[in-house]
Amino acid sequence: MKTYLQLGLILLAFCVVATALLAYVNTLTKPKIEALAIEEAQKAREGLIPNATFEEVNGALTYYIARDKTTNEIMGYTFTAAKNGYNGTVKTMAAIDKTFKLINIQVISQTETPGLGTNSTKPAFTDQFKGKNAEQLVVDKDGGVPPNAIKALTGATITSRAVTSSLKEQILLLQQDLQSNPDAVATKGGKP
Amino acid sequence: MSFVSELTKGIIKENPIFVIVLGMCPTLATSTSVNNALGMGLAATFVLVCSNIFISLIKNITPDKIRIPVYVVVIAAFVSIVDMSMAAYVPALHKSLGIFIPLIVVNCIILGRAEAFANKNNVLNSIADGIGMGLGFTLALTVVATIREILGNGTWLNFKIMPSTYDPMLITLLAPGAFITLGFLMALMNILKEKK
Amino acid sequence: MGFFGQFFVLAISAIFIQNFVLARFLGLCPYLGVSKKLDSAFGMGMAVIFVMTLASAFCYLIFQYLLVPYHLEYLQTLAFILTIAALVQFVEMVIQKNSPALYKSLGVYLPLITTNCAVLGVAILNITPLGDGSRYNFIWSVLNGFLSGVGFTFVLLAMAGIRERLEMVEMPKSMRGMPIALILAGIMALAFYGFMGMKI
Repeated sequence: MKTYLQLGLILLAFCVVATALLAYVNTLTKPKIEALAIEEAQKAREGLIPNATFEEVNGALTYYIARDKTTNEIMGYTFTAAKNGYNGTVKTMAAIDKTFKLINIQVISQTETPGLGTNSTKPAFTDQFKGKNAEQLVVDKDGGVPPNAIKALTGATITSRAVTSSLKEQILLLQQDLQSNPDAVATKGGKP
Repeated sequence: MSFVSELTKGIIKENPIFVIVLGMCPTLATSTSVNNALGMGLAATFVLVCSNIFISLIKNITPDKIRIPVYVVVIAAFVSIVDMSMAAYVPALHKSLGIFIPLIVVNCIILGRAEAFANKNNVLNSIADGIGMGLGFTLALTVVATIREILGNGTWLNFKIMPSTYDPMLITLLAPGAFITLGFLMALMNILKEKK
Repeated sequence: MGFFGQFFVLAISAIFIQNFVLARFLGLCPYLGVSKKLDSAFGMGMAVIFVMTLASAFCYLIFQYLLVPYHLEYLQTLAFILTIAALVQFVEMVIQKNSPALYKSLGVYLPLITTNCAVLGVAILNITPLGDGSRYNFIWSVLNGFLSGVGFTFVLLAMAGIRERLEMVEMPKSMRGMPIALILAGIMALAFYGFMGMKI
């Protein structure tokens, strides 16, 4: 029994040292990781709507109001949408204007098939979302006719569908939220 | 054995992947691009060298009965450090390697070297062994990734090297292609060994 | 969808669509190492199912009630691997004491399981957020562990069955052993690709 206790204590000592070391490394890296995530999201937003400042709205939905840097007028809204694709979650960041038409989108994280689903990050795919409204967000395989619909990627219909339908759902939700809360749409700058 | 021979044995003669056949999961999963392969290889090498040094240092004070749990704690600690540092400094690579970074803990190469080498040898030789085995692992990973990236994407380290008329063989990037590529590479190694 | 509907979806997805070995590349060492004979493959498979189910349960509890409340998520890897190592040791002792017959058939595989990345893999995947940001709860984590283990055993047995016959086939000397096993695995993965992306 005594030897077991001794062995246990030695093992415990190693664990304590390891934990202390990890706690130290964690304090060094954690702020950096968090800052990176914020910076990355900010960069993605700026890529979608250039020359704008962003204001976070945390209600039933989380989205950002984009205002023109000089006139402070609302240019649109950015939000993220996610849905399961072929091999995990496909996360997209999108910007819509005040009439709920897409300004631009960017696929920010995905783990899809290399060479097929990963093409969803390329401009050839994302550019066709520009100017589309919620009704037009249908993949051509599901009965849509381009240019009033999204042309699915070759060999990656499921990925295309995930992007398209997650955006559609999110736009409709946001539309509902904004219309029930006319404050966010109507105020032109000067909001605290 | 001398420092140099400990260093070089892991690269060809006792290559952890092609000869000893250890650490298959990361080899197949992270060899879709040369970039990922190098990242994975270097991360594993770092953990391997650190854990080899540490285990060789504590080999006299760890009781034999609990040596495996102690090794596991040491390795897990270094893996977590690598995991956190990569998330902070190379986020893109961290994202694309995903779950396979924490899984370095159970990479049989690392525990295997701790048990087979570091707990019997001095620090200097353990460092050499760690570097050699790590580089052998990285090399093998890069070879597999080179074939898969060139055939499957027409690029090498993201530089386009195949003519634009080349139609990529997507299958080499998918799971089946990973197995088949490694299978043929091992057959090739066997042929080379027979010729010697 | 009722409980059984969800269970069915999870089962199909864990065994076929997201098979641990062929789609996720986890647990390859035992898949290639212990698939030479059918009965040893069976023993390994059973041991893996057992440990994966238990590990899913324990790791989930530790994460949910120990690491999350105290913001110690960065200790995840360390805590999980220690839990698994301890669990394997414990299971080994219990089986050895209570059922020598079972120990004889499973015993040799148990230590190997500690370094089986499928076990740590399932523990980590269980606590990784799903598409909508939610995580599996306790019951689904355990079921996921169990079913992923079943999926692992399923392909392990299939592989062993083929490899036993393959021993008698004539082939170039350089292809014998590991190379042909890998190519075989590739062809099996190709077959499993038919399931991938399937929507239920």
